[in-house]
Amino acid sequence: MTVCSRTSPRSRTRSLTSDPDPDAQPFEFHATLTRLDDGLDTLHHSVDLLRQRSGRPADDRNVILFETALAEIGSNVLIYTGKHGSGGSPVEYDLRLEADTATASFTDRGPPIHNQLTRAMPAPTSEAGRGIAIARKVLDELGYKRDGEVNHWRLVKRL
Amino acid sequence: MSSPVGLHLGLPAMQEIYQAGLGDGRGEPGLLATHVWELLGGGRQSRRYRLATVSLEVQSRQTDAGVTVLAPSGRLDVTGAPTLKEAVTEAVKTGQPRLVIDLEGVSFVDSTGLGSVIAALKMVRSSKGDLRLAAPNQQVRVVLELTTLDRVFPYFATVEDALADF
Repeated sequence: MTVCSRTSPRSRTRSLTSDPDPDAQPFEFHATLTRLDDGLDTLHHSVDLLRQRSGRPADDRNVILFETALAEIGSNVLIYTGKHGSGGSPVEYDLRLEADTATASFTDRGPPIHNQLTRAMPAPTSEAGRGIAIARKVLDELGYKRDGEVNHWRLVKRL
Repeated sequence: MSSPVGLHLGLPAMQEIYQAGLGDGRGEPGLLATHVWELLGGGRQSRRYRLATVSLEVQSRQTDAGVTVLAPSGRLDVTGAPTLKEAVTEAVKTGQPRLVIDLEGVSFVDSTGLGSVIAALKMVRSSKGDLRLAAPNQQVRVVLELTTLDRVFPYFATVEDALADF
């Protein structure tokens, strides 16, 4: 089951319109993800809400790039946590938009992935291994920290 | 929600993916679907699963000129990519395959989805066939550019343009 909530009081009560509101509170979204399919649905849904809240069209390139990186890191986290986490432990996901900067974070109990972070974009004929390279290429910041048994991810992009 | 019991293939994954062609009278002709079973619990010999949501369906049709057009619909991502692979495998069985993947219905592609397209290209070329991509949306075009795969897969604005290129 995926539990999600937008944690900003204003984001819960305001209708989401296509016009950005200069006085709007920062957009915030929180979800607890436990399944790959539902989890990915939730990630895309949160970006749809961010688009609506910021008044950006569906073809906004920077939002597309952010969503692409988010899905790459999110699917990696969900897959590896599911394979190796203790009892399919949940993944905490947060998304925030403030002053045109989108920041997403994941917290999970999957295995450490230090050795994959610097992986270069593979050859065009390779069928795998592009996910983190894509994320690194399109984000302004891709942060990763291993804290005991916990992974912390931070994805930042100015939109 | 009911939790049907599924077969266990021994894959050490949170979710195990089963594929079934539904063109046998149980579904729409040419429609392929991937069934994703989520592991709920149980031991090594007996595990419980439930059917989870799938992100992609693929329609298949043959043109008069013998070109197979595959039209995936949904997200071509880590959960949807196996469905496309299955559809391409079926298409390649027909002999020397000429294939168009109509991407108009694909809302989003990730690196695993791209991998399935690369696998498709390898499969058709190993059978002396060829593959064209048609009608990608902006997200798909952006990802093809980012990964420089637009040099490997020149894409066409419409299926008709792609068909005309064979």
